[in-house]
Amino acid sequence: MAAPKRPYTIIVALALVIISLITFSLINFGSSEKTGLLKKTVLEIAAPLEDAANSAFTSIGLAWERYVLLVGLERENRELNAKITSLMIEVNNYREMSIEYVRLRKLMDIEDDSKNSTVVARVVGRNRLSVFKTVLINKGTADGINIDFPVMGAEGVAGKVIETSWNVSKVLLLVDYNSHIDALIQRNRCRGVLQGSGKSGCELKYVQRSDDVRVGDVVISSGLAGVFPKGLVLGKVVEVDKKEAGLFQRIGVCPALDIARLEEVLVISTRMGDDR
Amino acid sequence: MIYYLLLPIFSLLVLIIQTTVVDTLSFGKAGLEISLILVVYAGLHLSVIRGIALSLVIGFFLDCTTGIVPGFFMFSYVLISLISNTISHRVYARDAIFIIAFTFMCALLGKLLIVLMYKVLYGINVFSGILYVSFLQAAVTGLFAPVFFILFYRLEVFLNVWETRSPDRL
Repeated sequence: MAAPKRPYTIIVALALVIISLITFSLINFGSSEKTGLLKKTVLEIAAPLEDAANSAFTSIGLAWERYVLLVGLERENRELNAKITSLMIEVNNYREMSIEYVRLRKLMDIEDDSKNSTVVARVVGRNRLSVFKTVLINKGTADGINIDFPVMGAEGVAGKVIETSWNVSKVLLLVDYNSHIDALIQRNRCRGVLQGSGKSGCELKYVQRSDDVRVGDVVISSGLAGVFPKGLVLGKVVEVDKKEAGLFQRIGVCPALDIARLEEVLVISTRMGDDR
Repeated sequence: MIYYLLLPIFSLLVLIIQTTVVDTLSFGKAGLEISLILVVYAGLHLSVIRGIALSLVIGFFLDCTTGIVPGFFMFSYVLISLISNTISHRVYARDAIFIIAFTFMCALLGKLLIVLMYKVLYGINVFSGILYVSFLQAAVTGLFAPVFFILFYRLEVFLNVWETRSPDRL
């Protein structure tokens, strides 16, 4: 019975294997510049379903978490009020500095380059256990989002858009191994490249051993690679190691943003590439 | 025919359960790759074409929703399905210990392919970074595999009965 089917089976099986190999090899031809129609369709179908399932399960988890949190609420409230007072003073100082900055820019006739508009989006899908660190957000090309747009959270950079469909986009988080951001140490302007190191951390690479980098230093985007505008907070230095042999030091960076708790994001619809 | 029609819907369902329900229950610690268990099951128990077709579809969906390298999941799942299919002719594939061990090995193979891909394509060594998580994830996937094998078997029987009866209905 099985004998006449054998050549047909082998041909079909081979064809399917070849399809998978061709798709895998597409990366070498740079075809990932645009998201294909089939991919867009899958994203459009999968994202709302994931969102619905996520909402249901997350709300159950949150209900328990919130109940536990109530225990220390009163103490936390007092601490936060004290923090607000000190922050208000700090904000006032910054406001004064900002006004002075604008006045000085006018005086020096420097053109304002902060023409970025933003789109607020919600995280609708994620796979925390995957080696690839990506999330799906509920805004796409219909809202003006395109590939390579920077994505921000409340505390700092979350990543960049790598794929878009009409109403859904895929964001590559800055902790992914594939994420490389040209960065600066805010205090002394030392340059390096911030690369994701999986889990929830990053590594600042190519910083010379002679450069003075300390634990607690803030890492910001340099604005040089053409994706992230200058001055966006990326994270804080948590580890500096000069013991290893070589030209550069090993710097561990903790992202400013808690990636695991990312819910709402801000997509900066900047077109830095146009200015280049 | 019903199998091929239901394939995309079922694959999407498995994927959504994997990225939502299982992800929430695992608290981000040790995940369960239902998609991989399904691919191993298809390789061991279904015909080679059905197995590869399922691997292609589920791999493509994973590539679309969570993947970064186009076609990576498609390729790795097809490879795992082919290995499972080849092995299925030589062993008794219904033994629980075999299922646990084999799924564990396949899960590790999947992670090994990721390490190789990063090394070959980007020159990045991710081995030490993902070693512990991969091992834990492979162990959990292997341990739960027999339970899912029973579920998938029941579904397969149900679909076969439906497929056999459907001409009578018409």
